[in-house]
Amino acid sequence: MPDSHSIDPEQLRGWLHAAARHDAAAFRRLYDATSPKLFGCALRILGKRELAEEALQDGFVAIWHGAASYQAQLAAPMTWMTTIVRNKALDLLRRGGANAEIDGPVFDAEIMNALHDPRATPIDALLISRDAKALAYCMSTLEGLHRQVVGLAFFHDLSHSEVAQQMAIPIGTVKTWIRRSLERLKSCLAKGERP
Amino acid sequence: MKLRDNPALCDKLAAEYVLGTLKGGARRRFDGYLRDDAALRSLVDEWQRRLAPMAEFSSVQQPRARVWRAIERRLGLRAPRAAWQFWRSESLVFWRTFSALSLALALLLAGVFNSPLVERARVDYVAALQDDKARTALLLTGDSGRGVLTVRLVDNAPVAPDKALQLWAVPRQGNPRSLGVLSRQGVIELGFTRAAIGDDVALLAVSLEPLGGSTNPDGPSGPILYKGNWVRVL
Repeated sequence: MPDSHSIDPEQLRGWLHAAARHDAAAFRRLYDATSPKLFGCALRILGKRELAEEALQDGFVAIWHGAASYQAQLAAPMTWMTTIVRNKALDLLRRGGANAEIDGPVFDAEIMNALHDPRATPIDALLISRDAKALAYCMSTLEGLHRQVVGLAFFHDLSHSEVAQQMAIPIGTVKTWIRRSLERLKSCLAKGERP
Repeated sequence: MKLRDNPALCDKLAAEYVLGTLKGGARRRFDGYLRDDAALRSLVDEWQRRLAPMAEFSSVQQPRARVWRAIERRLGLRAPRAAWQFWRSESLVFWRTFSALSLALALLLAGVFNSPLVERARVDYVAALQDDKARTALLLTGDSGRGVLTVRLVDNAPVAPDKALQLWAVPRQGNPRSLGVLSRQGVIELGFTRAAIGDDVALLAVSLEPLGGSTNPDGPSGPILYKGNWVRVL
C-alpha cells in the first residue's frame, strides 16, 4: 500500500467536491485512495469477496451521486463514505436472507490491539479518521467482552438475541452490556478523551 | 406512546437504532416517529457520528480492478465519444457496414459514370452515404477541377419540417468540418475545396440537425443518419 499511508481528510474533501462537479479524474483518485479501506469494511461485514466487491461498487455509485450533498461540517469524508459502504453491505446482507457466516474475531488483530491499548499501536498506520481514533480510544476503555458484543452487533447487523446466540450468553446480559457500553462511549466521546 | 416525554428512552432507542440492534416492528415504529420528530432525528444523527467511525475498524484489503471498471461502466465515466466518432467505436456493425458499402459503391459507380450528368463533369471523387441498414440514401460526386460537390438524394429521405440534414467531412484526426446544410430533395451543388475535403478526409457523414444546422461548433449536434467513405476515382 504505497499511497495509503496518508489519507488526508482535506485531500479527500477536495476530491469529493470535484466529484460533485462530475470530475471523473478526481473521483478515480478518491477511489484509489479509499477503496482498500472501504473494501476492508465491506469484507468485514459480508465475509465474501464477491459480495464485498458488489457492496463497494454500489457504495461508490452512491458516493458519486451523493457527493454534491456531502456536508463537510457533519462528518469527516472517510466517515461519510464508510457509512455509505456499510449501508450497502448491510443491504446485501439482508437481501441475502441468510446470516453471513461469522467466523473469526469481530475485529482484526491489529485493530484489536489498538483497541486494547491505543498507545502501543501506531494507530495512524490503520488509516482511520480522527473520529475513528477517538472512538477506538473510547472502545479500548470497555471490557473486552462488551466491546465484542458491540462490534458483533455493528458489523453483522445482529439483534440482541442473535448476539446472545453467537456469544452463548443470556439475552438479558447482552442487552445490559450493550446499553452500558453505549452510555460509556457517549460520555467518553463527549469528554474528548484522547490517547 | 409518549416517547418524546422520555428523553433517556429516546436516546437509548436512537443509539440502538444506529447500532442496528433495534429490529423488526420496533425499528419500523421508530422509523415512523423519526419522520415527524426532528429532535429524535438529531439524536440519531449524533449517534451516527459517534458510532459510524467503527466501520473504519477494519484492515485494508485490495479490491480487484474489475470493481472500478464496473463503477466506471455504471456511471458512464469513460471519456464519452462524441456522436460523430462512430468509426472509433470499434463496432463490428460499423465495419461490416463499411465493407458492405465498398461493394455497394463499386456497383453504384457503374451507374454514375454512365449517367449523362456525370459525363459532362469530370468526377474524380465519389461517396455513397448509407443508413444503418446499409441502404444508400445519398450519392455524392466531387469534381475537383471545377470545385463542385454534387449531392443527389437517391431516396427521398424523410426529414421533419423543423429539421435539416447537414453534410460533414470527417477527417482522420480532429473535428468534422461542415460542408453545408442540404436542401430537401433533388440535386444540390456545393463548393468542393481541398480545405474542406482534403486528403485527410476518408468519410463523409450526414447528421440530423435543427433548421440552420448544428448548434455545436465542433461537429454534429444531432445523430448521424448516413455515412460513407469518400473515395478518389480515376
